[in-house]
Amino acid sequence: MAPVKCSHVKEHLSKWLTWPLVGLALIPLGGCGEEFRLFYPKGPVAAAQLKYTMIDVGIMLLIILPTTLMLCLFIWRYGKARKAAYDPDWAHSMTIELLIWGGPIAIVALLAVFTYESVIETNPYDPTVLRAPAGTQVPAQAPLEIDVITTDWQWFFIYPKQHIATIDDLVVPQGRVVRLRMTSTSVTNDFFIPQLAPMIDVMPGMQTRDAFSSDGPGTFTGFSADFSGAGFSWMQFSTRVMSGDGFSSWVAGVQAGQAQPNRGALSYAVFQKLAHPTLNIGAKPGYFASVDTGVFNRAVTDALNGLTYPVPADLTEKMAPDSGPSNQRRSSENGKGS
Amino acid sequence: MPVHLQGPWSFLFGRLTLHAIPYDNVIILFAFTLAAVAGIAIVLPVLYFKKIPYLWREWITTVDHKKIGVMYIIVGLVMMFRGFFDGLMIRTQQVLADGPHSPHFLDASHGYIPPYHFDQIYSSHGTIMILFAVTPILTGLTNVIVPLQVGARDMAFPYMNALSLWLTAMGAALVMVSLFVGDFSDAGWSGLIPLTELPFSPGVGVDYWVWSIQISSIGTTLNAVNMIATIVMMRAPGMTWFRLPVFTWTTLSTNIIGLTAFPVLGVALAMLSCDRYIGTHFFTAGLGGNLMLYTNLFWIWGHPEVYFLVLPAFGIFSEIIPAFSHRPLFGYTTMVAATFAIAGIAWLVWLHHFFTMGAGPGVNTFFSVATMLVGVPTGVKVFNWVFTMYRGRLTFETPMLWCLGGLFMLLAGGLTGMMLAMPAIDYTVHNSVFVVAHFHCMVLLIAYAIFGAVIFWFPKVFGMQLDERSGKLFFWTFSTGSILVFVAMFALGFMGETRRLDYLYDPHMLPLLIIQEIGIGFYGLSVLIFAWMLFVSLRNRNTSLESDPWGTSRTLEWLTRTPVPFYNFAVTPQINARDELDWRRRSGLDLSHPDRFAPIHMPGNTMIPILIGICSFGLGFGMIWRIWWMAGGGLLAIIALVIFRSFQHTPGYMLQPGEIAAMERRTAASGIIAEQPSRPPLMEAGAH
Amino acid sequence: MAIHQRPATPDSVLWQHEAEAHDDIATRTLGFWLYMMSDALIFAALFAAYGVLDQTTNLAGGPGAHQIVHPLAGFWQTLAVMTSVFAYSLASVAMKMRSQPGVILYITIALVLGLVFIGLELGDFARLIALGDGPDRSGFLSIYFVLIGTHGLHMAFGILWMLVMIVQVARSGFTPSIVARLLNLRMFWQFQASVWVCVYAFVYLRGAF
Ligand code: HEA
Ligand code: HEA
Ligand code: CUA
Ligand SMILES: [Cu+2]
Repeated sequence: MAPVKCSHVKEHLSKWLTWPLVGLALIPLGGCGEEFRLFYPKGPVAAAQLKYTMIDVGIMLLIILPTTLMLCLFIWRYGKARKAAYDPDWAHSMTIELLIWGGPIAIVALLAVFTYESVIETNPYDPTVLRAPAGTQVPAQAPLEIDVITTDWQWFFIYPKQHIATIDDLVVPQGRVVRLRMTSTSVTNDFFIPQLAPMIDVMPGMQTRDAFSSDGPGTFTGFSADFSGAGFSWMQFSTRVMSGDGFSSWVAGVQAGQAQPNRGALSYAVFQKLAHPTLNIGAKPGYFASVDTGVFNRAVTDALNGLTYPVPADLTEKMAPDSGPSNQRRSSENGKGS
Repeated sequence: MPVHLQGPWSFLFGRLTLHAIPYDNVIILFAFTLAAVAGIAIVLPVLYFKKIPYLWREWITTVDHKKIGVMYIIVGLVMMFRGFFDGLMIRTQQVLADGPHSPHFLDASHGYIPPYHFDQIYSSHGTIMILFAVTPILTGLTNVIVPLQVGARDMAFPYMNALSLWLTAMGAALVMVSLFVGDFSDAGWSGLIPLTELPFSPGVGVDYWVWSIQISSIGTTLNAVNMIATIVMMRAPGMTWFRLPVFTWTTLSTNIIGLTAFPVLGVALAMLSCDRYIGTHFFTAGLGGNLMLYTNLFWIWGHPEVYFLVLPAFGIFSEIIPAFSHRPLFGYTTMVAATFAIAGIAWLVWLHHFFTMGAGPGVNTFFSVATMLVGVPTGVKVFNWVFTMYRGRLTFETPMLWCLGGLFMLLAGGLTGMMLAMPAIDYTVHNSVFVVAHFHCMVLLIAYAIFGAVIFWFPKVFGMQLDERSGKLFFWTFSTGSILVFVAMFALGFMGETRRLDYLYDPHMLPLLIIQEIGIGFYGLSVLIFAWMLFVSLRNRNTSLESDPWGTSRTLEWLTRTPVPFYNFAVTPQINARDELDWRRRSGLDLSHPDRFAPIHMPGNTMIPILIGICSFGLGFGMIWRIWWMAGGGLLAIIALVIFRSFQHTPGYMLQPGEIAAMERRTAASGIIAEQPSRPPLMEAGAH
Repeated sequence: MAIHQRPATPDSVLWQHEAEAHDDIATRTLGFWLYMMSDALIFAALFAAYGVLDQTTNLAGGPGAHQIVHPLAGFWQTLAVMTSVFAYSLASVAMKMRSQPGVILYITIALVLGLVFIGLELGDFARLIALGDGPDRSGFLSIYFVLIGTHGLHMAFGILWMLVMIVQVARSGFTPSIVARLLNLRMFWQFQASVWVCVYAFVYLRGAF
């Protein structure tokens, strides 16, 4: 992760709202770095989100800041010791009361406008920021489709057109729009790549969608953002953005079984074995040189038909310390990971 | 319809086996020892000084709203201490488990707590803090104050009041028992679905969570009925609606929320229980269930619930700030309007807790704007408090400090809440510690209000003031803790730290985590100072207090003697103004107490509520462990007790003018809470 | 700064010396109203859930509403509830006339009709479960059983309450608390009847047509 210069940040900030949030970011450390992921968007959707964060905070500070100052001022000014003017009766003023209702209403009205705009722009199902700006005639590449399945507690990324799949490793070409279709075999998770893709729930028996594209190559952390049980803390995946050529050769490599560890072919039966609860300590990736079609759809229908992958009691609570095969997993969890 | 259970089951003990008692877990063993020592420290003196009859007579079987309120607050503070301990464990785990090379102790692969145990800790922390600490404390405060503020003898239904208390206490007891017998839920305080379904939470943890909430929220609902009836029916002559103190108004609105919101939670939890006990498919992903239904139902309760908590806190601000600004509250009418506006809008915003579930732009925009609208009445309140201070003569006693601190918390929490309300922003920080920091600002604002209120009203109830010096120290250490922990937490949110992690993937977070750990150290210090404050105050107590010890209070509760006698007002006051006490003081009226008395009708004590409470504990425990005979027995016993009670004639007793005069004199002289005379009850006909 | 004159205050401006008279029965009635308000929200939540879970996707291959409800069967239950409420109204009239036997007689009739209602409902349930269409069959059947069962539980509770009231009226006549309870029970019973009307319209009629 190359350190980023301050000027990079500024590109994404609307000018008149820059300082408040930069200030906010500076407070905690007196410095900043790319680990403040939300301030370093690496794709149009995340950038739009940062922009609206700035706008939102800026508008609200218009009223919150004066209020805070007024509060501080009055506390200081009207302390008994200061012997300022004292009025023991005044308790009502039509003007002030109209103002204190009117001011916030105006602010909320303004915010509402931006809310609507931002919801359209960053709607994970169809972010309009990913569309080519009107007028430009860029021959848009067809989006890259990826199917995402979460299990307890791993990520499966299936590339239906490329007929490959990975565990906990999402590789995409730079600049190209990526469209995701997501479902879960067990409980609800939440797909999130802070610097690239907005958050969206991943639910069993249902399909949700997400979309993003990236500005340039790099490696970005992605993870589940909705608690899903004992292995949740290890549900990270790396998102590797490659150049178009790099991506193609990576795909070819996986297809040829060169990506290690190569787990062979992903049939639905294999998938079902892997879908049993596994604490993937260290978030170790895996690769499949080929994939049967329909794994995603069968995962959805099976969940709808009531298929679950129950979690053994000793992985969640200590009800029955010696209940069968899951003991092994428990002990692997006790060993120090990575 | 029997569901498949992992692990053994027997008729006599249900799922309960020796394994359920985690005697081999160092941490729990430590907690158990701590609790046992504390328990013994309390029980031994009680036994030694032969105080059991006193406790039984004056506290456990009492129907006096003030004593019930005090017991609520004690239960709440004890649970808050437990919640704090959980917070300490959370923070310590996270600072130890940052990055792949972090150390590991005991049973854990990182840090010192394995995941399933860590998940229980924050789940119980959230559940306890919201439902068993803050809710009981606020209920207790309203119990103590509101009948006094409206000039009533007691609540509308004193017996039911005791019942509410014991149901809440038994819910809390179930949570505490889960620490030593079995496990608590590990699915978050909001019971993430379908994680709480049997296949994914096979143990008894979720059942503990369900039943402790179910039982205590019946208590909360009954209390809401009681409170509303009290405010509507029991006001003293002259106490018109627009003379009600703002705290009473907020109590009214809060309990309207409580009355209408808790049933929805009850339904959601009951459906979840059906899924877990008889295999229905309400919230399962398959076989026709709908897991988003749970999420909707939970937040239809959960969102109003947070305003249920914050409104009384706003009421407290509205009492304390005028008292120490030496001015009336600015904009009383707008304040009342804003209160009800908040309560009303609270019903229309629940979806902002799951913007990320994939609803369309239209739906998200609607709920986003509705959420932001709450900022308007809240803002009105803030401005009203600020203008109350304008041209005031501010003095900074501890209650005032807590309120001012709370105001800053409100501004920080409000600003960040409004950020979350914008879906485009929420897509980046939902379920991150940014959200956690937002709501801790808000719930801490409530904690601030609570500490302010306890210190403010303490002399009224106990006839002695708390020590100001240590009180201020308590305030500053606590606030230092808040700033260190939660400012750092906002920053961590921008780094993308997800909430509920027992292991953090990014070593860059360490500096901030260490700041937080220092912060929790300050919190720990503040708890010690709190205890020291109680000790010092007790040692140096001055019990000959005026009826208004602060000298600047404004409302009716300060009119009667300090400490408040069990009959509240020797003679019911006639109300002439909004701030009655202030009106009397400034009209140059005689503030002394009446000297002519009429007989007072008082309700008698009863042990039925505590018995029902104990049976409900049995019912809950039986259901949790699937000990059917115990659950069934508990239920039958409750029904039998209710029927038995309806056959009892309990008309109470009469206090005669002579006795009242004597007790008034004694209270004034000694500053000691008067005990009730023991006396044979009246026949029913005589009471009416 | 306003000038506060010292009014010549007789004691009565400050204190209310007459024994306070809070209307006990009115307070209890209000309290019970409030309780029913929260009960109404329980049903509201259940009806909302029924609305959500009454889609084809929630059947999971099991039967839908039109296969398991019959407006006529529901009609007999409606009849039982309505006549029971009517009988209870007669009991109220008898109470106004302070007739102990009258009250006992009419409450008994109301009670028996309530039992008929519950009997019919349990019959329905037993038939469905015997067919394998119990509450664990599908999401739709779960809410069907729980919605109707919750109402049935309320009815059973009302019946128990009637039993208690019969004994109390027989033993002690019309003391103020017994009168208050009889009035509240009337409200409760009418409320359950109106919930049933909603169930009938929402589940039976909507399901059948
Ligand atoms: C009212 C609610 C409330 C309150 C007051 C608090 C208070 C605190 N909380 Fe809590 N918290 C929640 C509600 C609350 N919390 C909820 C709902 C969650 C989410 C759970 C979930 O994810 O499901 C949560 C989660 C949560 C987390 C997040 C874990 C995660 O998701 O990663 C953390 C981490 O630091 C935390 C810390 C703290 C700390 C340090 C305090 C401190 O402010 C504590 C300060 C308190 C004290 C210092 C005690 C003072 C007590 C006394 C003075 C009384 C003493 C009494 C006797 C001696 C008898 N909380
Ligand atoms: C008492 C508790 C409390 C209170 C009062 C609030 C108040 C608010 N909350 Fe908060 N909230 C919680 C407790 C609380 N919240 C909890 C516990 C959660 C998480 C639950 C969980 O997931 O575990 C949560 C989560 C939460 C979310 C979901 C986040 C997520 O999960 O992704 C959102 C989103 O909209 C939100 C918004 C708001 C808003 C807009 C307010 C507003 O009411 C704030 C209004 C106040 C102000 C705005 C400041 C003062 C106003 C002015 C000075 C006037 C002018 C200002 C303007 C007009 C801008 N809250
Ligand atoms: Cu980078 Cu400042
Ligand atoms: Cu909310």
